[in-house]
Amino acid sequence: MDRRKMLALLGASPALIASAPSYAGTASAAAPKAPSPMTAGLITAVNPAVTPGLPKRVPLAPRLDTLDGKTIYLVDTDWGGMGQNSSILEEMQAWFAEHMPAVKTIIKVKKGNFVTDDPALWKEIADAKGDGVVLGVAG
Amino acid sequence: MSSEAGEIEQKYGIPVVAAAGSNVVSFGIGPNFTYNTGMPIRYVGVPFPFSGQPRSVLKAYIEGKDTVTGKPMMHAIVDGLTKPLTAGEKMAGTPPESVPEPRLLPADTEDNLQRLFKEKGWTDYNPVIIPTQERVAAMLKGTSHKPDEIVKSAAGTFGTRRPFTVEKVATLAVMAGAKPEYLPVILALASQVPYQDSTTSIAQMVVVNGPIRNEIGMNAGLGALGPNNDANSVIGRSMTLIHKVIQGYDEGVTGFASLSNPLRYDNLCFAENEEALPQGWQPLHVQAGHKPTDSMLTIFTGWNFINSTGWTEQHYAPQMLMRDYMSTLSGMGATLIMDPSVAELLDNVQGFATKEKLAEWLSQNVQKTAGSYWGNAIVSSMLGPLGAQGLEPYASWKKLPGDAVIKPFTNPKGIHAVVVGGKTASVWFATDFMPGPSVSIDAWR
Repeated sequence: MDRRKMLALLGASPALIASAPSYAGTASAAAPKAPSPMTAGLITAVNPAVTPGLPKRVPLAPRLDTLDGKTIYLVDTDWGGMGQNSSILEEMQAWFAEHMPAVKTIIKVKKGNFVTDDPALWKEIADAKGDGVVLGVAG
Repeated sequence: MSSEAGEIEQKYGIPVVAAAGSNVVSFGIGPNFTYNTGMPIRYVGVPFPFSGQPRSVLKAYIEGKDTVTGKPMMHAIVDGLTKPLTAGEKMAGTPPESVPEPRLLPADTEDNLQRLFKEKGWTDYNPVIIPTQERVAAMLKGTSHKPDEIVKSAAGTFGTRRPFTVEKVATLAVMAGAKPEYLPVILALASQVPYQDSTTSIAQMVVVNGPIRNEIGMNAGLGALGPNNDANSVIGRSMTLIHKVIQGYDEGVTGFASLSNPLRYDNLCFAENEEALPQGWQPLHVQAGHKPTDSMLTIFTGWNFINSTGWTEQHYAPQMLMRDYMSTLSGMGATLIMDPSVAELLDNVQGFATKEKLAEWLSQNVQKTAGSYWGNAIVSSMLGPLGAQGLEPYASWKKLPGDAVIKPFTNPKGIHAVVVGGKTASVWFATDFMPGPSVSIDAWR
């Protein structure tokens, strides 16, 4: 019988044998079993995939009833480092001034750079009774 | 930015809307929430690109649509601050764990498995060796570590939890075509995930030092940077598979490299030609404080890889052309990759008795204009804000006219040299690759 056909009948892949001859011995030494048409020539592979872990879910802070009379901080994360974000935030500030003048907006620039945290600024906003924050822009 | 927004919301109870470019906003809303923060931060999406756009375009963005909801941008921001929380946004506590991946895949044909591995994003789109149990068991003989030992847990991008075992690494090593004796090197590589990613064309380089280079037949000589050696090629390919499968890098989902980089195929994996170093020039791992008999690898990260093109001319010393080419680099760090013949010329003829002496000279002599320096967005993003906050020399450099000349490599310790090659041409590469810590390969034997 053709060697490849014989191995397929034993449930081993000819492809396996082609690259790793030692498997031929293993397969040949196994007790002969009735070939299953469902498994003949099939390969069982180890799954390379990793199971990702999931973090604890954290709820968002309650939202505001209205922005009227509220102070919103527009915080520049300084992505890009050359003032691009401040320009966008200034345009947001201008929009609020024109369309929602009852909203007070304050622009702040984060210290460090776009990959560093600035906990002192978050505390400053909280201490100043800031009502909301728009943070940006990442890109 | 999600973690900063989360900090403001969680610690101070202040509602936040985060704004991100449309190029990356799906990462903040999707994988970063699901696998990293656990907090469904409300985002708006700003059209991309916004860097380099005139003010009129930025104004139009603000007056235009939010790319996430399709609503007018400012209405979306107001909604983000005022619209009551959904049940999902109020959710707290531990979610159900992910469905565990089974150890084995359902039996299938070679062709179907090759197709499955590609569809799952587990390959570099070249065929892989299917990791049968027998092949993985044979690969595991390359290390004394147990198959179920956890190599690292914080393996995902930004350190998200993706715990993986020695057996997973062995599986990928099989897929890449490795021999069991390569496995300690591949395990050492895997221990360093997550590798750095970016929307830019960032890439990695792997340099191996110590006795293992020769034990496993790595190439440090002729053609070492090309597809001319099994160990160099396959170990480098393994790193690509580790990045994609273990770290979970998925272009367009967890990563957004606009052009990416062809170096990502094999991660510029080679061994230093320690035997050809001039006397006084130390191997990379010895410079880092390790013994010559330690087997170590170093992962570099960078963007640029500039070829000297031709050999070294007598009338223009090699360090002069290196200086010229390095003026195009960012100044944040550099690694020169040079043929042993170049190292000999630098040592014997030019008098650089150590790698460090060469680095000092280059630090003092590479120049570029302030305009070009700040024109590099990585420099302006990382160092521009520090200059604006008064940190020298960046504060002074920010005030200079664009044509003023500066010496960008302020720290000679940021300039490295690696010797490799077969002495058939006195050629070299100037790169901006910067090394991470040297990592023990011996620990994974």
